[in-house]
Amino acid sequence: MTTSLADHLRTLPDESLAALLQLRPDLVVPVPADVSALAIRAQSRVSVARALDGLDQFTLQILDAARLTRDPQGGGTTVEAVLAMATAGSHPPAPAAVRGAVDRLRALFLLYGPEHDLHVVGGVEEVAPYPAGLGRPATELDPRAAALCADPAKLRRTLLAAPPSARAILDRLAAGPPIGTVPAGALEAPATGTEDALPPDLVNGGAPTGSPIRWLVEHRLLVRMSGGKGGAGTVELPREVGLLLRRDSGPLGPLRTSPPVVATPAREAKAVDSAGAGQTMEVVRHTEALLESLSEEPAPVLRSGGVGVRDLRRMARNLGLDDGIAALLFEVAYAAGLVGELDLTGSSHARYGGDQQILPTAGYEVWRAASLAQRWEQLARAWLTMTRQAGLVGQRDDRDRPISVLSAEAERAGAPAARRSVLAVLADLPPATAPTPDEVLELLDWRAPRRARGRETAHREVLAEAAQLGVTGLGALTSYGRLLLAELTDADERAEDPLGLRSDAESGEPSTAVRALDALLPAPVDHFLVQADLTVVVPGPPDPALAAELEVVAEHESAGGASVHRVTTASVRRALDAGYSADDLHSLFRRRSRTPVPQGLTYLVDDVARKHGGLRVGSAGGYVRSDDEALLTEVQSDKRLEPLAFRRIAPTVLVTPYQVQRMLTALREAGYAPVPEDASGSAVLSRPKTRRAPARVPAAGRGLDPLAAPRLPLPRLLGVVEQIRRGEAAARAARRAPAVVRGSRAATGPAPAHTHSDALAVLQQAVRDKALVWVGYVDAHGATASRLVRPVSIGAGYLRAEDERTEMLHTFALHRITAAVLED
Amino acid sequence: MGEDAGVSGGPLIVQSDKTLLLEIDHPDAQACRMAIAPFAELERSPEHVHTYRLTPLGLWNARAAGHDAEGVVDALIKYSRYPVPHALLVDVAETMDRYGRLQLANDPVHGLVLRALDRLVLIEVAKSKKLAGMLGNKIDDDTIQVHPSERGRLKQALLKLGWPAEDLAGYVDGEAHPIDLAEAGKDGGKPWTLRSYQREAVDAFWAGGSGVVVLPCGAGKTLVGAAAMAEAKATTLILVTNTVAGRQWKRELVARTSLTEEEIGEYSGERKEIRPVTIATYQVLTSRRGGAFTHLDLFGARDWGLVIYDEVHLLPAPIFRFTADLQARRRLGLTATLVREDGREGDVFSLIGPKRYDAPWKDIEQQGWIAPAECTEVRVTLTDAERMAYATAEAEERYRMAATARTKLPVVRALVDRHPEDQVLVIGGYIDQLHQLGEYLDAPIVQGSTTNKERERLFDAFRSGEIRTLVISKVGNFSIDLPEAAVAIQVSGTFGSRQEEAQRLGRVLRPKADGRQAHFYTVVSRDTIDTEYAAHRQRFLAEQGYAYTIVDADDVLGPSLPSFD
Repeated sequence: MTTSLADHLRTLPDESLAALLQLRPDLVVPVPADVSALAIRAQSRVSVARALDGLDQFTLQILDAARLTRDPQGGGTTVEAVLAMATAGSHPPAPAAVRGAVDRLRALFLLYGPEHDLHVVGGVEEVAPYPAGLGRPATELDPRAAALCADPAKLRRTLLAAPPSARAILDRLAAGPPIGTVPAGALEAPATGTEDALPPDLVNGGAPTGSPIRWLVEHRLLVRMSGGKGGAGTVELPREVGLLLRRDSGPLGPLRTSPPVVATPAREAKAVDSAGAGQTMEVVRHTEALLESLSEEPAPVLRSGGVGVRDLRRMARNLGLDDGIAALLFEVAYAAGLVGELDLTGSSHARYGGDQQILPTAGYEVWRAASLAQRWEQLARAWLTMTRQAGLVGQRDDRDRPISVLSAEAERAGAPAARRSVLAVLADLPPATAPTPDEVLELLDWRAPRRARGRETAHREVLAEAAQLGVTGLGALTSYGRLLLAELTDADERAEDPLGLRSDAESGEPSTAVRALDALLPAPVDHFLVQADLTVVVPGPPDPALAAELEVVAEHESAGGASVHRVTTASVRRALDAGYSADDLHSLFRRRSRTPVPQGLTYLVDDVARKHGGLRVGSAGGYVRSDDEALLTEVQSDKRLEPLAFRRIAPTVLVTPYQVQRMLTALREAGYAPVPEDASGSAVLSRPKTRRAPARVPAAGRGLDPLAAPRLPLPRLLGVVEQIRRGEAAARAARRAPAVVRGSRAATGPAPAHTHSDALAVLQQAVRDKALVWVGYVDAHGATASRLVRPVSIGAGYLRAEDERTEMLHTFALHRITAAVLED
Repeated sequence: MGEDAGVSGGPLIVQSDKTLLLEIDHPDAQACRMAIAPFAELERSPEHVHTYRLTPLGLWNARAAGHDAEGVVDALIKYSRYPVPHALLVDVAETMDRYGRLQLANDPVHGLVLRALDRLVLIEVAKSKKLAGMLGNKIDDDTIQVHPSERGRLKQALLKLGWPAEDLAGYVDGEAHPIDLAEAGKDGGKPWTLRSYQREAVDAFWAGGSGVVVLPCGAGKTLVGAAAMAEAKATTLILVTNTVAGRQWKRELVARTSLTEEEIGEYSGERKEIRPVTIATYQVLTSRRGGAFTHLDLFGARDWGLVIYDEVHLLPAPIFRFTADLQARRRLGLTATLVREDGREGDVFSLIGPKRYDAPWKDIEQQGWIAPAECTEVRVTLTDAERMAYATAEAEERYRMAATARTKLPVVRALVDRHPEDQVLVIGGYIDQLHQLGEYLDAPIVQGSTTNKERERLFDAFRSGEIRTLVISKVGNFSIDLPEAAVAIQVSGTFGSRQEEAQRLGRVLRPKADGRQAHFYTVVSRDTIDTEYAAHRQRFLAEQGYAYTIVDADDVLGPSLPSFD
């Protein structure tokens, strides 16, 4: 067959070959050496899979019809046979539609050859093993099943005799795929107990009982395939049985020549754009808030990559965002180049043991200065093209570890394609059509079933994210979203054209999407309304100058279409600290306010300003104070003291940046008589110091006879006697421990087991008798020690015992006790 | 707002924190307010921009009143000046959709049942630990029996779970008793009629079955109560904050309805009467003997057809618990503010009922039903000696020192003298200071220890004009009807309580016979914590649209006043 495709290709004119290469561009990367190489590649699994991925459901079904109608020997089929099969169902499609599908398949060279001898390229079998979801013919599976299938009457009777639970399994397999797994033992063991009415879950292999399957296998309606491990096996529905079961809908199953129709009524285009534009303002504002919070407190990068769940959650909570939305914004901001990692290795800023932090990049500054629409466009472009699936954040990976934001686990190469295909569905609908998510999924499933199946979750996420980012509004694609999408698609097509110009994103001109969005967004305002409750309302997005002023003089309270700020004592103080004077503030409010400035605000500013700076703080090296103001004036004006740079901070106080000692010397040299003070204000007296050696006990003074013992007075002596007596009593009490306890470990190495268990027995007896025991043990430093104690309890590996002498409760780890001897 | 408001769009700005800013000078502002009032709660109404808030409770209130999510979204989009974020619209729709998925209903066979319009919700809540013990047998997939005694607690718990139930189980009529409004005038009194907003409030309450009517002090809440009783024509239990307020209710009911003195009982610390209409104080109901609430039986003493809660925002926690058992009775809550300083607004919603009527203060004032008030803050400068004493005082003493500064006395006198024609109330929080003021102004004092009899006497004398100036303590905060008081001077308060300030202002807001201007002065010590607390208290009134004027004490005293000391 390979040769015949190659032969066929060889006979084609150049234009037809070029058309093929245009439809399947992957065939020319790299450029094949000759036509047979091209033919081989066109039939390769990868290339065929790629070609099939792009086909809609109906075309795939027609391909299946071609496969099913092939002559088992020669391998060829005809357009007539395909038409006959496709129109066999109860709702036959128009023949023209079938022919159209055949033409598409022939253009792609998935089918080739003349109309009366069509061939299916090899590779299709490998890529899609079960045509139309039907099993192999019974003859290929099992001779007994083949015998049953060869007798249509008997087959029908057997089918009708199937119990309802078995019939449910059959219907499910007939809808495709035709194979199912059965759990271990399901086929061997006869059913115990009552028959389960529910069909077993074949796909998940969770059959609760084997009985319906056993019945089917025994009656040859299912064929058991090779057994898997542990007795689990696979069953296949023979093609003939499947076709019989599909006799109502036709052999190919239900056919739909055109995509499903969206039933949801269209929205008002204005409402869609308005809701979307509102959302774009939100997303830009939230992103900015997120980046601001990162700028204040950068997020540490985990060793495994990404930002930890806890950090993300904290940020989300602070911003009042849902975790999922925060993750999405984080990913988008990263993709847009607004945040990046900063390497901290060796830096003092390294915390949490991490050596990288995430914080806003220099690009953030540029972004922040751009218009709202431009900022949104940058985010939306980043989202459309990023190879990340933000919806995975917070879920568990294969090893049951949470997937963190910016980590490698959330990387999905197919993400941009998924977004493109979902949005393409919306874009192809009439404007302002808002299909439900289910309808979108249905459309995707028809347009490219091989791509859509299994990606339903990801596609739903795309819809949710598009709504979140304001690409859609009220479920429909917005006008500016449509333009942005078109721009990206154009850019792609140009990129494929080697002579195409680069996209105009770099030309500095705002794109059409930005212009469309700009028209929807409110214009910046340069005024506000001040009210008696000291709130300041900016009735729209503030222009940058106004925003900067408000940031200083008022606290932010609520944001959205407008922003609400409140002037508080703290905010006024902040403004004063930042260099505003009370008059500046008054004039600012007068200038910017569209309404009369309430008296309360004027009072607040004046009150705070009056108290502001009521205390002045500074530092000085030293001070000179005097009750004689004239004297201080003299000191201050003394030319010789000019180097001290005195400043008078009160009528009676001068300060200097220089140290006290230098000031003292200078003042004295100038003929003044200063006295230094210490921290508490008392005078420090200083006398000239003379050098002396350290004190020592004089040799003399011990009496005449240095060797004679000193004579003590009687009370001292009595005290000494008392001390001796006490020592005697203590020594008696502290009798020495028996030898076995003393150093038994040091002598014999590790305590033998029997000694240890003996010791335990002794201790237990002692607990019962409340007797005194000598306990030998190894302390934490490995030294042996012993102690006379009265055990109180033994438990949890510890001995608790009381030392009567010190009246302390001691705890000994049992494994450290080497010996125990009862005190007699 | 200026002339380009019409060009730039609607009067409403939707914020992402679910507040709505309404620019009231906009030509469409009135229409917009009518459109959003059913679902958004008015939070602040200063002079230019009113703030409404979308809360789950508010949205559910709207659902209860028959508004749907589509209508709410349409109103937001229609009046919004700027694009409304999609996420917010989705959230509004989803929140509203949660109300009424569960219904409490009366099943002819099984009695009280919880019925689900959404089976999954029922499964979800039935599993919740919070509902343990409240639900009975499962009748079918969508219906679970409920113990009738758990009706209130179940509603509370469901609200907490975010699935508020619609209570369709109805009410018992209670023991019938003829009550009519005596609008023709009684015993030679002048004919009168219910004001339009009072009628609207009663109608809204009656249509809803149970709920709360929010009206400012002085707007005639008692009459709303009386009209509700006339609607119910059944025995009524009225719960009030204190005995004096109870007597005012009684007086008003005797004057305005067909009820006679004998039909109205007082159930208080002093008297224990149970009559067809019984007025009880919160205090006596929550008093305990040996750890048990001994007067709880009052709720079961008669087959009450209506229970009225005066000043709902002060309802003590134990009454909530009793109220949970009263779900089959009609309940009317009356208050000037739903702000509870303990944040139990949700319990008011689930146990007494949704808010049925609300009108902004300023509107009612504009209609002339409450006296317009001028609020003035008088700042006195402490003497140096007082400043020194204040500076060295312990932190917990500071407020008292600042609030009770003797420097305030001449200022208060000057203020009293400024209004020689008016009845003046001087309100303070510290007894010592009140005594000083009493002596200084030569005015009688009403305080906590004053007997009810003495109080009544003084209030009567004040009403009749015999006494021109009255010094009152915190007892003046609530439910004292002194309609002739036209000037209130506040000298000290409870730290920064917002509610207190509103209640005190309410004292002078009763409409005056000649439509005079009411004055509310608050005297504060400059540069002390007193000013800070005053600012906090005033915020509430500023948010209600009452702008304070600040004046200096010297301007009040005038140049010729001899110095104190």
